Order: sequence, then structure tokens, then C-alpha cells
Amino acid sequence: MVSDSPAAAVAGGQLLRAGASTATRQAVTPDARRRLQLVLAAIWLLDGVLQYQSFMFGRGFSQMLAGVAPGNPAIIADPITWAAKIVAQHPVPTNAAFATIQVLIGLGIAGRRTIRPALAASIVWAVAVWWFGEGLGGILNGGASPVNGAPGAVIIYALLAVLLWPVADGDRSDRPPFVAALPVGAATAKVLWMVLWGSLAYFAVTAANRTAQGLHDMVAGMGGGEPGWLSAVNRGAADVLAHNGLAASIVLAVLLGVVAVGVFLPLPLSRAAIVLAIVIALLIWVVGQDFGTILAGGATDPNSGLLLAVLAAAYWPASAVARRPTDSTEALAS
Amino acid sequence: MTPAWILYVFAAIMLVVAGISTCRLFITRSWSGKAPDADIDVAHVLMGIAMAGMLASGLRTLPNDVWVAVFAIVTAWFAWRVAAEARSATGANALATGHHVPHFIHGAAMIYMFAAISAAGSAGSSGMSGMGGMSGSMGTLKLPTIGFVFVLLMVGWAVFDLDQLTGHLSRSGGDRRVAGVSLPAGLRQRVALAAAGGGSPALAAGVVTAGSGGPDLLSAASASSAELTSAAQVSEVATPSDEAVGRLLLDPRVTIGCRIAMSVTMALMLVLMI
Repeated sequence: MVSDSPAAAVAGGQLLRAGASTATRQAVTPDARRRLQLVLAAIWLLDGVLQYQSFMFGRGFSQMLAGVAPGNPAIIADPITWAAKIVAQHPVPTNAAFATIQVLIGLGIAGRRTIRPALAASIVWAVAVWWFGEGLGGILNGGASPVNGAPGAVIIYALLAVLLWPVADGDRSDRPPFVAALPVGAATAKVLWMVLWGSLAYFAVTAANRTAQGLHDMVAGMGGGEPGWLSAVNRGAADVLAHNGLAASIVLAVLLGVVAVGVFLPLPLSRAAIVLAIVIALLIWVVGQDFGTILAGGATDPNSGLLLAVLAAAYWPASAVARRPTDSTEALAS
Repeated sequence: MTPAWILYVFAAIMLVVAGISTCRLFITRSWSGKAPDADIDVAHVLMGIAMAGMLASGLRTLPNDVWVAVFAIVTAWFAWRVAAEARSATGANALATGHHVPHFIHGAAMIYMFAAISAAGSAGSSGMSGMGGMSGSMGTLKLPTIGFVFVLLMVGWAVFDLDQLTGHLSRSGGDRRVAGVSLPAGLRQRVALAAAGGGSPALAAGVVTAGSGGPDLLSAASASSAELTSAAQVSEVATPSDEAVGRLLLDPRVTIGCRIAMSVTMALMLVLMI
């Protein structure tokens, strides 16, 4: 039987409003994994919004793509050049499509019923952008540095999508020790962590990055167009690094190496390593990457520092008592 | 320069939000004489119109300074509502999950955007007749750091809203529903009583469908039982088709959907202005 009374509808409407208010107050409390998924969703949404910036619809975007090709092997560089030409010929439709895709990925991850296809799409999209938009993060052309965003911010999106994939929580006894271990297992997750942070340690001491002025020049070159306070931070950091590039690179590499092996250590040391990872990531994000140069206009993403911090949070070792489900996307979505 | 058609698309979305909010105000007023969330709907109407005018110069309505004053009032109002929520049972938790915090932030962001536009205009920047002009003259924000903070808040709130919306829908999948919103058993009884008292027997059987209840909406029933009774006693003023449209517009998912659209659009506008 269907209601045909406006009074009924009004009553329902009042309930709906009251329900909305109460529902808003009584939030669905997301668990640690869901919180990290939401952070990933927010970053994708931010990327999509940044992609709508004015300069992306002109020659700037295609020039940015073409600029990552030099120095890479031909098998990597040629497709980049091809993609850049297509974007240069059709800047408006291609960029509008790119921006919209990223917005939809962000909103899809935020929705509990759409998270799986959105995460899957984000992996495919991130790998494509890593190749065609970032030239594999410069890892093959000698220009990669943990300070400038190696091994490519966008590949960390793909890694996060894998590690935050919604899977059913096991029973309390066999629940993995940290969020990132849920979909792939603790051993695999730790190996992925070690490979990522170990590669960052390696890139910190490559020939281009261990010169006396290498880090100084990198940081000093960041301040253009930034707000005064951030430019001042850049100048201060550059002064500290001036002529100390080798020592700074070695210190950075050692710290990154400690982080890389930290997840294999006992709980207190493992937690210390995660804290160190987050501190390094945020330091790089602010001092070395200027928040991805978003404040200067012209950024397409927040760069790698923020993503590394989010990734580190996914490896935070929970105590056995804390390993109980409070909310499961798997349960809700199924 | 961001193509005008993209800005027009977002302007159209904002006009839709304003239109929906206007209809919600009209429906609740005309059907029940009450509009419990009228302040939110009014804010959505104002923001929708104002943002559409910023995105498309042809849709401008009021001078920027007037909009600054309007949103100063809106922001102050929601600041008062947030403070009231914080004093109530929700306490400090109101800042995180409160009903009015997002609207307070939205109002503050509107002030910031219009103030930034006005400042840029007085400094002689080109194209202050709307976002279409603004997007061609980047770097108009004097304090981009604040703009960035607002952008982060907007995208954060958009994904949080979407998560909460889909989370509630998932959890209440087997609940009693009114136009897609769950109704627990106790609330269903109140609806039935109210309907019977107001001579509207179709309410319980027609609007409410089968399922089981949840605690959050049960408390909603307690809070709204008086409104419910009076609403059920309203004389019949609408046709069935009006009722269907009204029920759709009064669905809280529509409100939250509007808020998500506004958050995303506002984030876009702020990024274009950095």
C-alpha cells in the first residue's frame, strides 16, 4: 500500500530531516583502514581539482608531460612523447577528461559501495600517469631524489590502493599487525615497505644528489611564487645545506635505511621507525617539495611527501588488544 | 585559461543546489508550517547563487562587498549554532561531527573568496566579473595558505560526507525506510500513531516499509514526535505527484548530496584562485 497523503509525506519529511540531523551527529566511526582510505580519496579529489587549473588547459600540461621524457630509455620516452603530442593537439578535452577521472576516483573511494572499482581504477590510472606523466619518477634518468618526489608520487597512490584494498577482517586471533598487511599479508607488506624506503635511501646518495650543492640547489630553487613564510623556510634550509650536500645526503640515506628495515624490528623500535618515517616524509613535503608547489599555482598533485606519510600510517603497528574491528568496509559493502 | 563551459557546468550544478534548497524551504513551509533546517537551506540557496555568479559572469547578482556582508551574517549564525551544539550533549565532539560545522566552514570560505576577489579587484587585477575572468588572472589570493587550508577542508568534508552517507545507507539496509531513510520499529509506531491522530492512515503502511530499527533514528523519533503529530494533522494541500517530488527533495541524502557538490565546487574555485 502506498501513501497518498501529503500529511504522511510531510511527516516523513520531518522524520527525514530529523533523521538527517541525528545521523549527522551520530557519525559512522570509520576504523583505521577506512580513515586511510578516506585520506587517499581526499588526495585523489584534490588532484582532480588541481587538474582543472587554467594552465593545464593550455600548453603547460603537454609541455609538462614532454619534459619528463628526456633521459629515459627510448622504450619509455617515446610513448611519453606520443602522449604529450596528443595532449598538445587536444588540450581541453584530454585535460577535462583527466581531471574528471581523478575527481570520480576520489569520490568513488569515498563511497563504500564503489570503493573496489574506484581503487582498481586508481591503480590502473596511477601506473599510466607514473609512466606517461612522471617518466617513471625519474628513476631511470638519474634525476630521482627523495626530496624531489622519487620514485614518483603517483606510484605511491597505486601502492596505497593495493595495501588499503578492502578485504574481510579475519577473526581476532589471526588479524595482521598493521593495516597495510590486511590484503597482502604482513611479510609481503614489509617487503614492499623495505623496497620503497630502501630505494629512497639509494636515491639519496646517487651521483647527482650527493654533490656539495646538490640538495642546496634543489631546495633553493623551490621558493619561486610561494608565500613569503614558505620561501623563508626554503631559504633557511638552503643555507643549512649549502656546501654540505654530501654529508646531508649520507645522513638522509642512513635515516631512510633505518626506516626501511624498521618494520622488521620489535614493536617499540618498529613504532619509532614509523614515527621517523612520518617526520622525514612531512619534512620533505614542506621543505623540499613546498606542499607540491600547490601554493605557487601550477601543481598537479601534492607530491610524494604527503603520500609517504599516509603510507607510513598504514604500517603503524597496533597492539594485540587494539586489533579488533570497529567498522569494516567489507562488511558494509557486501 | 579554464574553459568557460567547464565553469558553466559547475555554475549549473550550483544553481541546481540553490533550486533544490528553495523547493525544500517551500515544501516544508507549505505542508507543515515548519522548516526545521531552514537555516541550512537558506545558506545553500545563498551559496549556490553566489557561487554560480562567481563561476559565470552572466549569473552575477550582487556586488562582492554585499556578498561579503551576507556571508559574514551566515557564518556568524552558524558559529552560534556550532557553539550551541558544543554546549549541548555533543560537547567538543560537535566540532568533528556536528550538524552545523560544515556550513560554518562553507560560510567562512565564501567570505574569504569574495574578500579575495574584492581585494584583487581593488588592486587592479583583470576580470573580476566572475570566475571566468578570474581564472585568466591567476595569483589573485593575497593569502594562498588560507585558501589551501580551505581546499583541504572542502575535499576532506566531501569525502567524509560521502563516507557517512554511504555508511548509514549500508548499515540501515534492512531498516524501515521512509523515502530511502531507515526507520526503527519504535519510530514506525510513532509514525503510525501520528498518522492515525491526523487522519492519515496511509502513513504507517504506505510510507514505512519492512525491516528492523537502529538507535540513531530512534532518538530522532523522540525529538521530532511533536513535529510529527502536527505535521500529520496538516490538511491535504498537495497532489500525489507533488508528494512524490516533495518526498524526494526532503530526503536527507539530497541535502548531503548538495553539500558534497558545494564542497567540491568550492575547492575547485579556491584552487583556481590560488
